[in-house]
Amino acid sequence: MATVEVRDLRKRYQDFLALDGVSLKAETGQLVTLLGPSGCGKSTTLRCLAGFLEANGGEITVDGESILGTPANRRGFGVVFQNYALFPHMTVAENIGYGLKIQKLPKSEIETRVYDAMKLVRLDGLGDRLPRAISGGQQQRVALARALVLKPKLLLLDEPLANLDARLRDEVRWLIRDLQQQSGITAFYVTHDQSEAMAMSDMVAVMKAGRVAQFATPREIYQKPTERYVADFTGEANFIPCQSVTPQGEGRYAITAAGATLELEGVPGITGPAELLLRPEALSLTAPEAGTFKGTVTKSAFLGAALHCEITLPDGSMLKLAAEPNHKVRTGEVVGIAIDNSHAWLMPEVAP
Amino acid sequence: MSEMTNTFGHQKTMNIGFGVLIVLLYVFLMAPLVMIVGASFTESLMIEFPPQGLSFRWYFEFFNRQDLVDGLLMSLRIGAVTAIVTMSVAMMAAMAGQVIAGRLSGWFQLGMTLPLLVPELLTAVGLLFFLYKIEMAKTVLGLQMGHILMSFPYAYVSIAAAMRQVPHSLEEASQSLGANGWQTFRLVILPLVMPGLAMGGIFAFINSFDLYTISLLLKPLGGNTLPLALFDFLTYEFKPTAAAAATLSILLSIAGVALVQRLVGLQRAF
Ligand SMILES: Nc1ncnc2c1ncn2[C@@H]1O[C@H](COP(=O)(O)OP(=O)(O)OP(=O)(O)O)[C@@H](O)[C@H]1O
Ligand SMILES: [Mg+2]
Repeated sequence: MATVEVRDLRKRYQDFLALDGVSLKAETGQLVTLLGPSGCGKSTTLRCLAGFLEANGGEITVDGESILGTPANRRGFGVVFQNYALFPHMTVAENIGYGLKIQKLPKSEIETRVYDAMKLVRLDGLGDRLPRAISGGQQQRVALARALVLKPKLLLLDEPLANLDARLRDEVRWLIRDLQQQSGITAFYVTHDQSEAMAMSDMVAVMKAGRVAQFATPREIYQKPTERYVADFTGEANFIPCQSVTPQGEGRYAITAAGATLELEGVPGITGPAELLLRPEALSLTAPEAGTFKGTVTKSAFLGAALHCEITLPDGSMLKLAAEPNHKVRTGEVVGIAIDNSHAWLMPEVAP
Repeated sequence: MSEMTNTFGHQKTMNIGFGVLIVLLYVFLMAPLVMIVGASFTESLMIEFPPQGLSFRWYFEFFNRQDLVDGLLMSLRIGAVTAIVTMSVAMMAAMAGQVIAGRLSGWFQLGMTLPLLVPELLTAVGLLFFLYKIEMAKTVLGLQMGHILMSFPYAYVSIAAAMRQVPHSLEEASQSLGANGWQTFRLVILPLVMPGLAMGGIFAFINSFDLYTISLLLKPLGGNTLPLALFDFLTYEFKPTAAAAATLSILLSIAGVALVQRLVGLQRAF
């Protein structure tokens, strides 16, 4: 329905630069997640898209046409707020029908469309309640229905699940994803929960202090991050500094790190200092002579499904890994660590 | 254990003391009202308490006195216009106050309540000079302006408070659903601030109804508000007619307060 492109977006609050050149792209029907820690500019980006904020520079286009001059009420985007922003003096049905009423549609059509929308988000029978008389999860679904009933070109969601408890969060998350995919609406979704971002997005933009640190698929973000910041934000990660890096062409490198030599893939074009990324699932315990690395077990904890170990390497860096639960390890023991090379990744050292 | 009963007993005496204090306070506040209302029903020719007998003759007397009735009508008319004008202007000011951010916001709030901070007499004198300059001194319109000025802060404070209760995200939600500024105002903001708005209007009306000093300086030639007419009346005659007039204004205020109570109740319902 709509391809949305954000190019070099800048936004300044008084003397604070909140967005410093944000670029993103959402193809028709894609769900793009803005992921990042508090204060990195996720909401600001979304509010520029919605038209609630005026950007200080850059461009936003929908299907190739700039929308920066279009006021929020004529953009035709659906917005779902973290605090739901339901109209407290209107019933559930009136809330959902608000946009249709603004469009001056005939009463009968409003009624049927509101009815259908309520059914879609499983709110049947609650139409006459006021927002304060329904639960948080139901309120969030009203907010969703209110936006979707207008068949928006673009759906913008700012941490829509933040106020829900864990179980409801899971339920509403899949509802959002299902509805978004069924209707093929392009969507931007703000969250600081990496598992949420991984699970439901087509593309993820990891934001860092007003910029996009990496914009890629969830798989790439997780397996091939461009810098430590991204790797850290998307899950458990081990980092080992490299002593030497020799490019082998096409994003392949031969490196020495913590006394071992190995060949692996990495971010293309690394010239300066680099570090090795090893996700815990890329590592397994072996005999001291068989592993790529050799190290001393400094901590181990039985977690049921796995044995969580921390191992200190000769160069002082530490590796966390999840071993097979019945593996016998003792603290102080010297062990070998085998690496699944396809899960190892080389990144340039970038200031965090 | 004994210590506990001790503190308990101590608290009890304190509670009794506190209760007595509150009763005294109420007596102090209510005594003049009780006296004046009581005196209005007397049969005697003097304002006195306790009243002699029970009659409504002073109420008839009041409605037969052209000067007092004229004063009442003038006060009602000016009060009504004051309420309507302050409500709409204060509504706009409160909306502007919402948009102004940062340090400026505090100054704006202060500015809006300035007429409360300057002594009424000084405001009246200043306004009188100003009205002479624009050749509107001693006109009903001039008096009306004075009342609006003095009552505006009450309406503003009440409306601005109601406005702050409306989250900004509601306006944004309305916009994103296609509503323009006017539709958002009419369908979302106005219904939500209505109790505060009505309260502001009632406060402005009651305040205008009670204003004395500014009316004294700005009153039009040959025209009087009720408080002025009553004062003139009392200077020459000390008859219970004045008590009847006072009782009528008290009734009006009580009606206003009751209405406010109802509206506050309504507001809580949201
Ligand atoms: N109205 C404002 N005035 C000044 N600074 C602001 C304003 N709104 C946001 N900021 C600042 O801009 C930065 C980005 O804010 P933004 O709300 O986009 O963060 P966010 O990524 O959504 O964070 P969160 O996860 O906490 O919601 C923050 O450092 C914030 O302090
Ligand atoms: Mg935010």
